[in-house]
Amino acid sequence: MQDDQIAHLLKGVAGGDRVAFRTLYSAASAKLYGVCLRILRNRAEAEEALQEVFTRIWINAGRFDADRGRAMTWLISIARNHSIDRLRSRREETIDSSESDPFAMIPDPAPGAEARAVAQGEAGRVSKCFEILPPAHAAAIRGAYLDGLSYAELADRHAIPLNTVRTWLRRGLLRLKECLAQ
Amino acid sequence: MSTLPPPLPEDGDDFLAAEYVLGVLSLPERLAVESRLRREPAFAEKVAGWAAHLAPLDAEYPEEPAPDLMPAIEARIFGRPEPVAKRLPRRRWFLAALGATAAVAAFGVYLTGLDTTPQALTARIAAADGALIFQARYDTDQNVVTITRTRGPGPAAAHDYELWIITPGNPPAPVGLVSAATRKLTVPKLSAGDTLAVSLEPAGGSPNGRPTRVLGAGVLSLT
Repeated sequence: MQDDQIAHLLKGVAGGDRVAFRTLYSAASAKLYGVCLRILRNRAEAEEALQEVFTRIWINAGRFDADRGRAMTWLISIARNHSIDRLRSRREETIDSSESDPFAMIPDPAPGAEARAVAQGEAGRVSKCFEILPPAHAAAIRGAYLDGLSYAELADRHAIPLNTVRTWLRRGLLRLKECLAQ
Repeated sequence: MSTLPPPLPEDGDDFLAAEYVLGVLSLPERLAVESRLRREPAFAEKVAGWAAHLAPLDAEYPEEPAPDLMPAIEARIFGRPEPVAKRLPRRRWFLAALGATAAVAAFGVYLTGLDTTPQALTARIAAADGALIFQARYDTDQNVVTITRTRGPGPAAAHDYELWIITPGNPPAPVGLVSAATRKLTVPKLSAGDTLAVSLEPAGGSPNGRPTRVLGAGVLSLT
């Protein structure tokens, strides 16, 4: 489905249109389930997460602004944020239970010119910029973003000290940003 | 940090924004970032910038056919599955069979049968893990919501639960604190389909008029 169709459905959902909500589920659930499953690596939990994701979509649809970015990107950010919150709360059992509840309100940053420019069809450039990164740095960034790996897990995966992971990410991201600014 | 190789340009906030978008932060750190996002537009801009930089990676997430969770999702939000077209009683089908005019008349009878002005709408507000559940009842006559915590503990020390009303196209509107096991709160006129949500707030309620952390939400529907 085209992104503007997703955006249109979201507008309907914001107005309380339950048919639009069901259509949106048909159109977007496979991708969003893919996100939840990749990060949570457990079908039962990914299904729970997907339910919560669509609940949040229903509640927050009015906050989506088509002028500020793609609808699918907005939906995926909800699925990623919730899945990562779940993952982190699963692994951090020592923190206060009142703080471990993963129902954080979706942050609502208002992207400015930079975000809009990037959002508007610069995907190809971003991939090119990824290619110029040292492969290990690029892999660490991908592992963090796509799999929801924490610093400790990245250190494990790459068999390097935690501080080195931080340095890799920092250097990799800086280069990525410089490359995108060119 | 003496083990770090040559120093990098420092922009703590910019890197923090990137760390948040990447997802490498711990949950308390993530919550701290989300709290700043609501208060600091410049910082929110950095996060949005990184989100846009990294969004092309989203293409690498595979599509995975999801089971049909819509009934469960609708039950969570609306309290019960969306009613499917009800079968008309046989007698009225018979009337309908008499012809178009009769059918319209029969449908009128059917509608009249439904026209019992509801005295109350209810909503079930549950956290996704089911550990915290509120039952809310809205009396249409008095514009009063009675909300009872039917499962789960009261808020942690120095926190409160707060009730919100969300109507289509509007930001959440605060109603009042619901930390006690049961509370009655006067609300504006509500209708079926409006959403009630409960958030966790610092003691005294939301500091900025917006929910700090939504714990669960439910949509008002006919009992």
